[in-house]
Amino acid sequence: MADKLNTQKSVKIAAGAVVCVESEIRGDVTIGPRTVVHPKARIIAEAGPIVIGEGNLIEEQALIINSYPENIMPDSEMEPKTMTIGINNVFEVGCVSQALKIGDNNVIESKADVGRNVILTSGCIIGAFCQVNTCEVIPENTVIYGSGCMRRVQTERPQPQTLQLDFLMKILPNYHHLKKTVKAGQTS
Amino acid sequence: MASLLQPNRVVYLVRGEKNIIAPLSQLYFCRYCSELRSLECVSHEVDSHYCPSCLENMPSAEAKLKKNRCANCFDCPCCMHTLSTRATNIPAPVPDDPTKTTMKKAYYLACGFCRWTSRDVGMADKSVASGGWQEPENPHAQRIGKLIEYYQQLAHREKQERDRKKLTRRRQCMPLAFSEKYGLGTRLQRQRPGAPLSNLAGLSLKEGEDQKEISIEPAQALDEVEPLPEDFYTRPVSLPEVTTLRQRLLQPDFQPAGASQLHPRHKHLLMKRSLRCRKCEHNLSKPEFNPTSIKFKIQLVAVSYIPEVRIMSIPNLRYMKESQVLLTLTNPVENITHVSLAACEEDDPDDINRTAQVILVPNTQLVLAGKDAAAEYDELAEPQDFQDDPDVVAFRKSNKIGFFIKVIPQKEEDTDVTVAFKMRHDFRNLAAPVRPSDEGGDAAAEAIWLTHHVELRLGPLAP
Repeated sequence: MADKLNTQKSVKIAAGAVVCVESEIRGDVTIGPRTVVHPKARIIAEAGPIVIGEGNLIEEQALIINSYPENIMPDSEMEPKTMTIGINNVFEVGCVSQALKIGDNNVIESKADVGRNVILTSGCIIGAFCQVNTCEVIPENTVIYGSGCMRRVQTERPQPQTLQLDFLMKILPNYHHLKKTVKAGQTS
Repeated sequence: MASLLQPNRVVYLVRGEKNIIAPLSQLYFCRYCSELRSLECVSHEVDSHYCPSCLENMPSAEAKLKKNRCANCFDCPCCMHTLSTRATNIPAPVPDDPTKTTMKKAYYLACGFCRWTSRDVGMADKSVASGGWQEPENPHAQRIGKLIEYYQQLAHREKQERDRKKLTRRRQCMPLAFSEKYGLGTRLQRQRPGAPLSNLAGLSLKEGEDQKEISIEPAQALDEVEPLPEDFYTRPVSLPEVTTLRQRLLQPDFQPAGASQLHPRHKHLLMKRSLRCRKCEHNLSKPEFNPTSIKFKIQLVAVSYIPEVRIMSIPNLRYMKESQVLLTLTNPVENITHVSLAACEEDDPDDINRTAQVILVPNTQLVLAGKDAAAEYDELAEPQDFQDDPDVVAFRKSNKIGFFIKVIPQKEEDTDVTVAFKMRHDFRNLAAPVRPSDEGGDAAAEAIWLTHHVELRLGPLAP
C-alpha cells in the first residue's frame, strides 16, 4: 500500500507544452509537447493516470477527469485504468470528458459531455452540448450534432489546429505564468 | 418565482367567430371596433420578402420568379443550417508555365453545425466566391412547365366566362377590374372558398389576348413497377448513408435516399406580414419595409391599450380553504384608468375552465395612475393621493397596483387551480376623429367601458 501511495502522483509536463498556472491538474498526469492547457482547465486523475499526447488544445473550463464509476466505492479492488488521449485533439470550452481512450484529431465541442465507456477513434466531432454516454466505440470521422445527437460520417477528418496552437504558444506566456516543465522520473 | 410570469398564466378571452383564449402579449386590439383580436380573427397579408441570412429585400415579382428562394444563400441539406463559403489554397498550374504551380483560391460550402461540406456530395470547388453554385435541375421540369401553362390557360378562360356571365346577369356598369388580377385581395373574393382555380388565373399576365391552344398528353399509367433489388431484405442498412425523412422531403424534386445525393438548395425567403381586422378593414400591425428594422409603422398591440393582470404571489392553496392571492394591474395608457372586477356569474358561457371560486369585494373600483415616462426624473412631483382600501390594495407604484383576491379551490383533483373573473375598465379612444362639439369646450375623448374575461392559472394545490 505504501508503494501505491508513493507512485508518481505528479504532473509531468514535457518541454514545449504550455500549461498555465491557473489550470488545475491533480494526480498522475503526463502532458506531451506542443499541448496548450488554458487557465481554468481541469485535468483530474483520481482513479488512474492520464496520459495526454502532443498538439492538444485544452480550453478554459474543460474538465478531463479519470474518476471512479459512480456506484463503485473507491478503495475497493479497482485496478487503476490509464486514460490515454492522442494527438491534435481539441477540448473546447466547458466540455467534460471521461472517455478512457481518445484517438487523434478529435474535437469535443463546447459543453459536450463524453461518458466513461465511450471510445473515440480519430476524426470524431462531438457537437456542442451533446451528451454521449453510451457504451460504444465511435467509428472514425463521425460527427455527432444536434439536440437529438444525430450522427453522420464526414469524408475528411478535421484539420489539426496548428495555426491556433502556434498563436497560443506565443501569446499565452505574455499574459500568464506557466507551470514548469518536469521531465518524467523527477518529482515536481 | 419567475414561473409566475409565464405568459400562459394569465389569459384573456377573445370573442370572435370562435372564442380564443390567449395571453395578452399575443393579442391585438382594434381601436376602431374597440375589441380584442387574436391572430386567428385577423387577415394576414404579405408585405415583403427577405432572406433571413443576408437580409436582402426582394420584390414580390422577383420572389415569385425565383420560387421564393434567395439567390446567394444556401441551406445545408443535412441540418438545414445556413452554409458558409470557405476558401482553401490549392496549387494550380500557371497557364504560361506548366511546371510551376501557384496557389489559387478554391471555394467550397461548409456547414458550421454538422460539418457537412460540398465536397461530400462530390461538388467540385469553385473559383468564384459566390454565384458559381448551381442547383441540380429537376428531371421533370419540362413536363411540369407544360402542365402549368395548360392549366393557366384553362383558368384564364374560366375567369373570362365567369366575368361575362356576371356582367350579363347584372345590367350594371361593373368596372373592368371586377375579377381582381391577384384574387383573394378584397372582401368579396375572400368569402368564396370554392372559387375554381382563381389563384392560377391571376398569374397569367396576358389578359384579353387569345393564346394558342396548348394541349397536353395525359400521363401514362404503367402496369409494371420496378422490382426491388434482390438483396433488399438481406443487405445490412448503413445508417449514416441513408437520408432521414426530413432531409428527403425538403427536396421534393428528387427525394434522394442516399446521403451522397443531398445537394444544397437555396435558402427560403421569409416574409413580413401585416395584419388587418376583418370587420373594419383597418390595419392592426404593419411592419417597416426594411428587413433590418424590427419596428412597426402601425402597432396596435393589446398590451399598450388594455390593463394587464399579472400574478405576483400565490400562497399554499388548500381544498375548500380560502386563500389570498396577490395580483398586479398595470396601466399602459397615460391617463387615469378605472378598473372594476366582477366575479363570473353561475351560467356564464365563457366560464368553462374554472376550478376555484373567486370572492371579490363587490363594487370596488381600482384607480390606476397614468403611465408617466418622465416620472422618475421629476423630483418635485407630488405623489398623487388615492384613497386605497388596505384590504384590497396592497401597494401602489407609479402606474401599477397590487391587489388581493380571495380564492377557494373547489376541486380536489390534481389539476391546476384556475380562476376567472371579469375586468371592466374605461377606454378613451384617441384614434376616433374628434367631432367638433357644439359647445366647443370639452375636447377630451369619450370613455367607453370594455369588459374582458380573464382567466388565471394558479398552479396545483399544496400537498
